[in-house]
Amino acid sequence: MEKFINILKKLDRRWIFLMIFLSCIIPFWIPSLFDQEFSTTKETQRVYDIVDGLKENDAVFLDWAFDPTLQAELLPMAEQFLKQCFDKKIRVFIYYPFISAISLGENMLESIKKEEKYSYIENGVDFIHLGYLPIGVDMMMFSMYSDFKSTFGKEGKIFRGIKTFNDIKYLMAFAGSTYPESYILLQRRFGFKMGAGVTAVTGPDFVPYLQTGQLDGMLFGLKGAAEYENLRISKGAEKKLNHRANAGMASLTLSHLVMFLFIGLGNLIYFYDRKHKKN
Amino acid sequence: MKKELPLLLGFFATIGWYLEFFFAGTFFENWKMFFTTGFRSVAIVTLLVGVVNVLKVNYSRIKYNNDRWFSVYQMLIIIVMIVFALLRGTSPGTPFDAMFTFGFVPLDATVFSLLAFYVASASYRSFKIKSVESAFLLIAAILIMLSKMPLGEAMWSKIPVIGEWIMDGPTSAGKRAILFGAFLGGLTMMIRIAFGLERSHLTE
Repeated sequence: MEKFINILKKLDRRWIFLMIFLSCIIPFWIPSLFDQEFSTTKETQRVYDIVDGLKENDAVFLDWAFDPTLQAELLPMAEQFLKQCFDKKIRVFIYYPFISAISLGENMLESIKKEEKYSYIENGVDFIHLGYLPIGVDMMMFSMYSDFKSTFGKEGKIFRGIKTFNDIKYLMAFAGSTYPESYILLQRRFGFKMGAGVTAVTGPDFVPYLQTGQLDGMLFGLKGAAEYENLRISKGAEKKLNHRANAGMASLTLSHLVMFLFIGLGNLIYFYDRKHKKN
Repeated sequence: MKKELPLLLGFFATIGWYLEFFFAGTFFENWKMFFTTGFRSVAIVTLLVGVVNVLKVNYSRIKYNNDRWFSVYQMLIIIVMIVFALLRGTSPGTPFDAMFTFGFVPLDATVFSLLAFYVASASYRSFKIKSVESAFLLIAAILIMLSKMPLGEAMWSKIPVIGEWIMDGPTSAGKRAILFGAFLGGLTMMIRIAFGLERSHLTE
C-alpha cells in the first residue's frame, strides 16, 4: 500500500492532464459509451414553451454575450433557440455586446442557412445582426424604449411594426458571466420578459432570479443545451442536425468521472498519511 | 477648481442617475441621457487609446528588447486584421472572417479549455476532507456534478432532485446574502462618491 501511495504522491501532473485529455476525446469516437437518457428541467422546458407560445411574426431580442471561449456550452443553446424561432417564423434581433462575438454569431447564422429547412432565412427580414455598441445595457435599453430602430442605425423589413422595445416579446441573454444581471436590474424599471442561457459555472448566480420570477426560463450549462436539443428533437427536429450539445454529454460524463477518481485518490493519500502520522 | 469640478460633476451624475429610477419622466431621462452620451464618447475614445497603446508598447519592445518576436507577431496580426477589415469588410467569407474562424476561434477556445486540466490537477492536490465543513463541500460538489450529467440520473433518479434542492436552497440562500451585501455596498459607495467622501477615482 505504501508503495502505491508513494507513487500517487509523486504523480506528475502531466498524467492527470493526459487522463483528462483522453476522457474528453474518447467519447467523441465512442458516443454510445454512456446512457444518454435524462429528464428535462423545468427551466429549460419554460424557455421552450415561451418560444413555442409566440405567434408568427412576433419578435425576440437575442443578446449574444459570448465569444469562442464559451462556445462549447453556449453555441448549441443559441443554435437551438434560433432554429426554434425560425420554425415559428419569429423575427430575431441579435445584439453583440462584445466585438469578438460578432463573427461567431454571423457564422452560426450562415451555418443554419446551409440547412435546407432554413435556406429561406434572410438577414434583415427573418433575423438581423444589430452589431456592437460601445455603451452599457442601461443606456441601450433607454434608447431602445425611446426608438428601437435608431438605436442601432440598421435598416430592414424586420423592423416593420417595431417602434420600441415594448414590441419585443422575449429577451434571451446568452452569457458566461453575470452580464445578464445588467438586464435583470433594469427589468423592474421597464417590465420586459427575459430568459437566460448560461454556463454551468455561472448558473448558480442566476438561481435567485429564477425563484423571484425575474428570469422566466433558463438554459443551464451543456446539460441545459442538450435538454433543449432533445425537446426540439421530440417535436420533430432532425437528430443528425441538432446534436451539438448531446455529442458532448458523454465527454462531460467521462471527464467528471476522471475528476471523481482523482479527488478520491487525493483523499486516500491524505487519510493514509494522517493515519500513519498518528501511529 | 481642478478637484471641485469633477466632484460637482460626479454629484450631479450620481444623483440624477439614482433619482431617475424612482421618478420616471422626461427631465430625469434627459439628465441620464446627457451623462450616458458622454460615457459613450469616452468609451469610443478609450477604444482608440487602447489600440494606440498596444501598438506603442509593442513598438518599443521591438526596438529595444531582445525578446521581440511575440511583439512582431502581435503587431502584424493587428495590422493585417485592420487592413483586411478595411479592404474587404468583416462579413462571413472575407479574409478577416477566415482569420477569425481559423485563428482566433481555436486559439481563444484552447486557452479557456486549459482550465479543465488545471482544475483537475488542483482538485487532486487540494480538494481534501480536512474538516466537517470541507466534507459537506465535497459531498455537495459531487452531488451537483452528478446531477449535471446523464450518468447521475441513470444511477439514481433522485440525484437531479437533490442537485436542484442544493441549488435552490443552500446555494441560493448564500448567493442572496452575498448579493444583498454587495448591493448595499454599492449604494454606500454611490453616496460616498456623490458627496465627495470617496475620491480614489480622482487620483492620478
